[in-house]
Amino acid sequence: MLRFKPHALTAALGLSYLLAASPAVAADAIKIGVPVGLSGANSVVAPSVVQAAQLAVEEINAAGGILGRQVELVVADDGSGAVGAQKAFDSLIFQKKVDVLISMETSAARNAGLPILARGKVPYIYTSFYEGRSCSPWMHVNAWVPEQQVPPVVDHFMKAKAAKTFFLVGSDYSFGRGMLEFTRKYAEGKGAKVVGEEYLPMDGTDWTAVISKIRAAKPDALVTSTAGGAPNVTLTKQLRAAGINIPYGNLAVDEGTAKGMGADAKGIFISASYVTSIDTPANQKFLAAMGKKFGADLKTPNDLSVPQYEAVYAYKAAVEKAKSTDSKKVSAALSEVTVDGPRGSIKMGKQRHAPLTMYLGEVQADGAVQVIASFKNVDPGSQCPNLK
Amino acid sequence: MALLLDILTTVAILYAVASGLLLIFGVMKIINFAHGAFLTLGAYASLVASNLGLSPWAGVPLAILVGALAGMVVELLIMRPLYARPLDAILATWGLGMVIGQLITLAFGREVQFVASPVQGTVNVWGTDYSAYRLLLVVAAAVIGIGMAALLTRTRFGLITRAVIMNEQLARGLGIHSGAVRFITFSVGAGLGSLAGCLITPLSSVDPNMGIPWLMNAFMLVMVSGASMASLLLATLLFGAIQVVVSTYFSPILGGLAIVVLAAITLRIRPKGFARD
Amino acid sequence: MLVVAVAPFMLDSYTLSILVRAIFFAMLALTVDILWGYTGVLTFGQSAFFGAGAYAAGLVFTHLGFSPEMAALALGEALLSAGLIALLVGWLSFYHGATPLYASVISLVLPIVMTQLLFSGGTFTGSSSGLTGYVSFDLSLEAWFWWAGFALIAITALAWRFVHSDAGRLLVATRDNEMRCSYLGINTSTLKIGLLVATALVAAVAGFGYASFSGVVAPELAGFVFGTEIIIWVALGGRGTLIGPVFGALLIECASAYLGGSLPYVWKLLLGAAFVGVIVLLPQGLLPALLARWLPKHWATSAKPAVTLVEAAARPTSGAQATEAVALRGVGKHYGSLRVLKDIDLVAAPGELVSLIGPNGAGKTTLMRCMSDGAERSSGTVHIAGNDIGRAPPYVAVRYGLGRKFQTANVFATLTVAESLRIARTRLDPPSLWRRAEQLALPAYALAVLQVTQLDKKLDTEARNLSHGEQQALELAMVLAMEPRVLLLDEPTAGLTLAERTLIGQVFLDLTHRFGLCLLLVEHDIEFVREISTRLVVLHEGHIAMQGSVQEVVESELVRTIYSGAAATPHGASA
Repeated sequence: MLRFKPHALTAALGLSYLLAASPAVAADAIKIGVPVGLSGANSVVAPSVVQAAQLAVEEINAAGGILGRQVELVVADDGSGAVGAQKAFDSLIFQKKVDVLISMETSAARNAGLPILARGKVPYIYTSFYEGRSCSPWMHVNAWVPEQQVPPVVDHFMKAKAAKTFFLVGSDYSFGRGMLEFTRKYAEGKGAKVVGEEYLPMDGTDWTAVISKIRAAKPDALVTSTAGGAPNVTLTKQLRAAGINIPYGNLAVDEGTAKGMGADAKGIFISASYVTSIDTPANQKFLAAMGKKFGADLKTPNDLSVPQYEAVYAYKAAVEKAKSTDSKKVSAALSEVTVDGPRGSIKMGKQRHAPLTMYLGEVQADGAVQVIASFKNVDPGSQCPNLK
Repeated sequence: MALLLDILTTVAILYAVASGLLLIFGVMKIINFAHGAFLTLGAYASLVASNLGLSPWAGVPLAILVGALAGMVVELLIMRPLYARPLDAILATWGLGMVIGQLITLAFGREVQFVASPVQGTVNVWGTDYSAYRLLLVVAAAVIGIGMAALLTRTRFGLITRAVIMNEQLARGLGIHSGAVRFITFSVGAGLGSLAGCLITPLSSVDPNMGIPWLMNAFMLVMVSGASMASLLLATLLFGAIQVVVSTYFSPILGGLAIVVLAAITLRIRPKGFARD
Repeated sequence: MLVVAVAPFMLDSYTLSILVRAIFFAMLALTVDILWGYTGVLTFGQSAFFGAGAYAAGLVFTHLGFSPEMAALALGEALLSAGLIALLVGWLSFYHGATPLYASVISLVLPIVMTQLLFSGGTFTGSSSGLTGYVSFDLSLEAWFWWAGFALIAITALAWRFVHSDAGRLLVATRDNEMRCSYLGINTSTLKIGLLVATALVAAVAGFGYASFSGVVAPELAGFVFGTEIIIWVALGGRGTLIGPVFGALLIECASAYLGGSLPYVWKLLLGAAFVGVIVLLPQGLLPALLARWLPKHWATSAKPAVTLVEAAARPTSGAQATEAVALRGVGKHYGSLRVLKDIDLVAAPGELVSLIGPNGAGKTTLMRCMSDGAERSSGTVHIAGNDIGRAPPYVAVRYGLGRKFQTANVFATLTVAESLRIARTRLDPPSLWRRAEQLALPAYALAVLQVTQLDKKLDTEARNLSHGEQQALELAMVLAMEPRVLLLDEPTAGLTLAERTLIGQVFLDLTHRFGLCLLLVEHDIEFVREISTRLVVLHEGHIAMQGSVQEVVESELVRTIYSGAAATPHGASA
C-alpha cells in the first residue's frame, strides 16, 4: 500500500493549535511545556513522545486535573540542537509562562536549555536516556544513564558470546562520547580489550572508512552509540551490507526505529528500561489506551515516549504532595514521589536520577524485541553528588 | 584489497552523483544548488516504488522520470531569467532546494525511512567479502558515464550540445536553438541527479535533507572538472581515492574534508582544474 | 535610537531576548551586505567568522573561566582568529584574475572546514553538542538589549557613513567593473582582502556578543547553512541598502521565533519560496520594493552634495625624468604553439605620439595588453618610465604612469560622472573613508576633455545613462585624471564624427606637445594617424614589420603589400 503521510501536514500545521484549543482549558490551567525536536535528528521519535504526553494529559484532565486545575500541553520545536533549544526554552518559559517542562531532548539541546531554566526558575523533568552527570537544581531525570544501560550488554557479550575484544563506534557529540567512554572503561575493567573507537559527526552517514577499520581490527563484538535516526540506521545498513555479523550492541536504538530498519536490525542487542512486551497490567493498560486514542496514527511507544508519559504523572504527584505549583516546592517533591507506570515503580530520589529495571533484548527478524534478561532496580550510581 | 574496493565504489558513487551537476554546469555554466534536492526526489521516488510493492528496480525509471519532470518545471519557471546572472542562479537554486525539501517533508514526514536493497549480501572478490550492492554501483556509474559519453559524441543532440558548450554565440549564429538545448540539458541533469539519489538510497536512508552532504562534494568535483566527463572521472578517481585513504588511515572527518579542500587548492593553483586548455 | 532606549519598557522579556539575538544576527547581515550588496562578492562564509568569535568566547569562558580579563582575552582572540582566517581566505579568494565564482566557492569551503574542525575537536570544542553552561557577563536582559541595540545602530551608522563616503564608492566601482579599477591603479585584491578582514572583525564581535549573551555555542553557528540564511535575510531585506538587511534579519528572526514553533515546515517553505521569488523577480529585495511603493522617490534620492571641479596643483615630476616613457624588449606572446607576438622591440619617449597600425589580427590589441598587464606576455620585458612591470597585474603598470583607454567604453555603470572621476583620482588624492569631498581636483587636460564634451554639465548623471560618445569621453577623462605619463589608446576615433575627430586630435597633440605625455595609438584611420603621429609602427603577423616617420611608412612598398595581402583596407571598420 502507498504510505503517504498526510497527517504529517496536519500535525505540523495544527499541532499546537489543537493542543491550545483543547476544550477544557480553564483560565488557570497548569501549563506543561514540551520542548522537543519536531525537526532535526530527534524528529524520528518526537511524535511518539508528544503522543505519550497527550495521553497522560487527557487521562489526568478526565480524572479531574491536578489540584482541581486542568492541564494544558504546550509543545515547541527545539530543532534537536542547542540554538533551537534556546529559542524553545525562552518561548515556553518567558512567553507561554509554563509551570513545568517535561521532555526528551538531545544532550546539546538540554545543555543549552539549562541556563534558561535557572533564569526562569521552572522545574524540568528530563525524560531521555543520556550520557549522565548533567546536574541542575531544577532538573530531574527519569530515564537511564550509562551505569544502568551498558553493563547488561557488555556482560552478555563477554559471558554468552565469549567476546574478548570490542570495537566502539559513535556519533561525535556528548551522548555518543559519554556512552562509549563509559563502555570502554567498563569493558576494560572487566578484562576485555577495546581494539578501536571511532566517531563520525552527528550528521555523518557514510561509514565506509569506519567499517574498513572494523574489518581490519577483527573485534569479537561491536557496541555503537550514534545519534538516533539517520546515523544509526545508515550504520546498521552499511554494516549488514558489508557482511559484518559479530555480536552488535546498539546503545541508541529504540524499538520503533529497530522496526523501521526491517531485516537489517535482526540480531541487534539493545538494553532499555522499556520494551513493549513488558507483561504487566500497567503496560497492557497503557498500550491499550494509546492504541485507542491514536489508532492508525500511533507511533510505537518506546523508551523515550514512556518516560514522558510517566513524567507527567510524576509532576502531578509532586504538585499534589507540595499542594502548590511553586517551583521550589515541586522540585523538592519530585525527588520524593513514586509513580507507578508501564515501567514499574519509579522514584527520582537518587541525586535527581532514578533506579530502573533494565531489559536486555535482541531484535527479531520481524522487528520485535525479545527480552533475554531483566535486571531489577539497577542503580544509576553517583550522578550529581552535589545535589541531594 | 578491501581498500581498493572501497576506493573503487566510493569513486563510482561520487561520479554518479556529480555527473548530473556536471552536465548542467558544462552546458549552461550554471551551478545547480538544487541538485541535492533532485537527489532527494530520486530517493523518495524509489521509496514510493518500494512502498507500492513494486520490484526494487522499478525505482530507477521512476526516479529518472520524476527528476526530469521536476527539472523541466524548474527550468521553465525559475532558471530562464537567470542565465545572465550566474551567482543569482546559485542562490535561486539553493532556495529552490529548500522549497523542495520542505514540500517533501510535508508530503512524507520528516522521519528517516528506508528502502530495501535490490541486491542483498556480499560477493567474494579475490578473497574479500564485499557488499554486492556497492559493486553493482560501480557498474551503474560506468553505465552512466558511457551513456553520457555516447549521448554527447554519438548523437545529434550531443553534437549540438557540444557546440553550445564550446561557443554558445557561434552556435546560436548557426541556427541552433540554445534555449531548447538548455531545457533538455537541465531536465537530463535533474534526471541524472534523481537517478543518483535512487542509487545511493539502499546504502543509506531517506530523509528530506539527505541531498545536502552530497551536494558539496559533487559541487567541488564539478568545479575542478570544468565541462568534461573525462576530467570528472580523473578528479573523482584522484580525490575519491585520497578521501578513502585519509578516512581509513587518519580520521573520517579529515577524509570528509579531503575533496572540498583539495579542490579549492587545485583551483587556486590551476583555475582550470583538471580541464584541458 | 529612541526606539532602542524605550523598547525594553514596552516589550516582554521573551520578545526582548529574541530581539537581542536577532540584533547580533543583524550585525552579521550588515557585513554580508557590504561584501555582496556593495562589492559584489557573494559570500556564504561570514558565518564562519561569527562562529570564530562565538567559539573564542565559548572556549575561553568554558576552559579558563569568566572574569573581565578573560572577557578581554576572549574578545582579543575572537578578533585575532577572525582576522587571520580572513587574511588567509582573502589571499586565497582574491588573487588577481580570480573569478567571482571562485571567491564564492572558497567562501563555501570555509564554513564547511570550520564546522568539521569544530566537530573533530572532541571534548575541547564539544563537537556536535557545542559548549554550554559557561558563565558570562552578568547583565540584565534590558542592559543586553541596550548594549546590543546601540552597538547595532553605531555599526550601521559607521557602515552607512563609509559606503557613502568617497572611499566607499570604491566598493561599487569594484562591483561594477573590476578591470577598470585595476586600470585606474587600484589594487582590487588588496581592497577586497582589507574589506573581508574588516567585515570578519565585525562578524567576530557579533559572534562574541551572541555567545556571551546566549551562553551557547554550537557548530551550526559557523556552518554553511547558517551562511545561506544570512544571505536570505540580506536578499529579502534588499541588498546594497544596509538598512534593508538589518531589518530583514530582525524581522525574519522574530517571525521565525513566533511562527517557526507552530508552523516549522510551512514557515521554512514560505521563506524559501519568498527567497526564490526575490532572486528571480525582485533582485533589489522585498523591503525596498515595498518602500518604493509607499515612499516614492524620497528613498532613492538621498541628496548628493554638489561637486565643483577645480584644477589640480601641478605635481613635481619625480626626479630624473626617464628618457624612455615605454620600452619593450623581446616581447613575445603565444597561446600553446600559436605565436601571436614575436620579438617585439619598441621604445617611445615622452612627447612622442606613436601610432600602431596593421591589419586585423596583427596583434595590436594584444601588444597593448602586454604593455599593461605583466601576466600577459610569454617572454621579454616591459618598462614603463624606467620601471620593470615584471609579472604584476595592471595596477602596477598604472602606478608607474600608464593609462589605458579601451576600445569600447569601459566605465562604471552605476557611478556618476563625478564619482567615476573621483575613483580615477584614488591613487593621487586618497579618498576619505568618512566624507564626500565637495571639490574634485583634476589636471587641466582632463578638465579640458570634460569641457569640450560638456560632461562637466552632467556630473551627477550615472554612466549607464550617458550616450555612447559621452561614455568614451568619460573614460578618456578618467584615464587622464590619473595624470599618466604613457597613454594607450585603442581606436579612440571609432564611431566619432569628423568634427569630434578633429577635436580629439587637438587634445592628443596638446597632451604630447604641451604636457609631454607619450601616446600610443592603435588606429585604423590612416588619415587621422597621418595628421597627428610623430612615428608609425606597422605590426604584421605578430612582429614589427617596419617603423619610422609618417612619410617613410606611408610611402613604403611593404605597407602596401601588407594591407593588400591581408585583404583589409586601411580604412576598414574596426574589428
